[in-house]
Amino acid sequence: MADKEQAKNEDGKQTLKVKVAAPFRTYFDEQAVSISGVNRTGPFDILPGHHNFITLLEASELNIHTPANEEKRIRINGGVMHVKADAVNVFLDV
Amino acid sequence: MRSLIEIAAEQNAMQSVLGLTNVFEGLASMRIAQVKDQVLNSQKFFGELWAIYSQIRVNKEFSYGRLESDDVLDKELFIAITAEGGFSGDIDQKLIEWMLQHYDPAKQDLVIVGHHGALQLTQLGVSFKRYFKLPLHDSNINVFPLVAMVKQYRATSVFYQTYVTLMVQDIKKIEMHRAIETASKQAVRDKHIISEETYIFEPSAIDVASHMESTMLEITLTQTILDSKLAQYASRFRSMRAASDKADEMNGHLKLDYSRTKRFVADERLKEVINGLRKAEELTI
Repeated sequence: MADKEQAKNEDGKQTLKVKVAAPFRTYFDEQAVSISGVNRTGPFDILPGHHNFITLLEASELNIHTPANEEKRIRINGGVMHVKADAVNVFLDV
Repeated sequence: MRSLIEIAAEQNAMQSVLGLTNVFEGLASMRIAQVKDQVLNSQKFFGELWAIYSQIRVNKEFSYGRLESDDVLDKELFIAITAEGGFSGDIDQKLIEWMLQHYDPAKQDLVIVGHHGALQLTQLGVSFKRYFKLPLHDSNINVFPLVAMVKQYRATSVFYQTYVTLMVQDIKKIEMHRAIETASKQAVRDKHIISEETYIFEPSAIDVASHMESTMLEITLTQTILDSKLAQYASRFRSMRAASDKADEMNGHLKLDYSRTKRFVADERLKEVINGLRKAEELTI
């Protein structure tokens, strides 16, 4: 319960803890409202409260919506996304 | 005796050498700091990835990201990582000699990274399967061609230079599966189990685990290349430090030479003046 309360922004909206990293660089490590990517099945979105999820990402663009209503786009070659308890870790390929 | 102008010109040249060696020394030391930072970051990344991989229950051993249908050669692959050339000293020679002591063409195939090593093997008449240039940059190193080769072989060993300290570099051999085991021991263990009952997998648990194995293999290979580069930068730093010290010492000698010559020239002039005066006195008497 305490974790859920921590994962809310100033407006009371639930957020995700998103980290996008490659072996030698971290591209994003902040709270976000949502993250969208593309896997073999097609485009998908991750919102707070998402079920535990692991997927292989296709070469595409990751879109991250921040609580400040900004959109952060990161071009990727592929990688692995791990979602658990409102924490999203994206491991980009070497 | 050399003239003052000659000595002053040599002094100027020596100052330039001293300045250049100091710049190269500084560059090498900067590169060392950058590469060390990268290695630390990649170790952390590897740890986090391993923590998730080790929780996935797919009933399979670490298999280098190979699929069950992939054919595997019943041979070992030897990968030697050497310098591209210049300032590498005798460390590449030691590495090649050491690798050849273990090498049996019937049991192993050779892949060489770095022009210096390839040249040495050619001179020794040893043939190798493939040659790759050592990447010029320290980031975005493309190891996919190496990973593709590793996947074809039953086992792989990498021979590479390693950084011990700024003044000490060594050669090392690692077996890939042991390197991955060692790196995984540094990862934080999580008792949580990731299975198809508790997680949604896309496309499947086996595919995700295989992809992670490939990524970890890429990181391990990249780390050996970075470690080799770190050792080469340290070796370059050491060479530049020695050259800088030598230039500094020679500059001291030249300074002394210049002062002695200047004093000699002044003494000679004084002697000439005195002799001139004596002659003038003799004439007036």
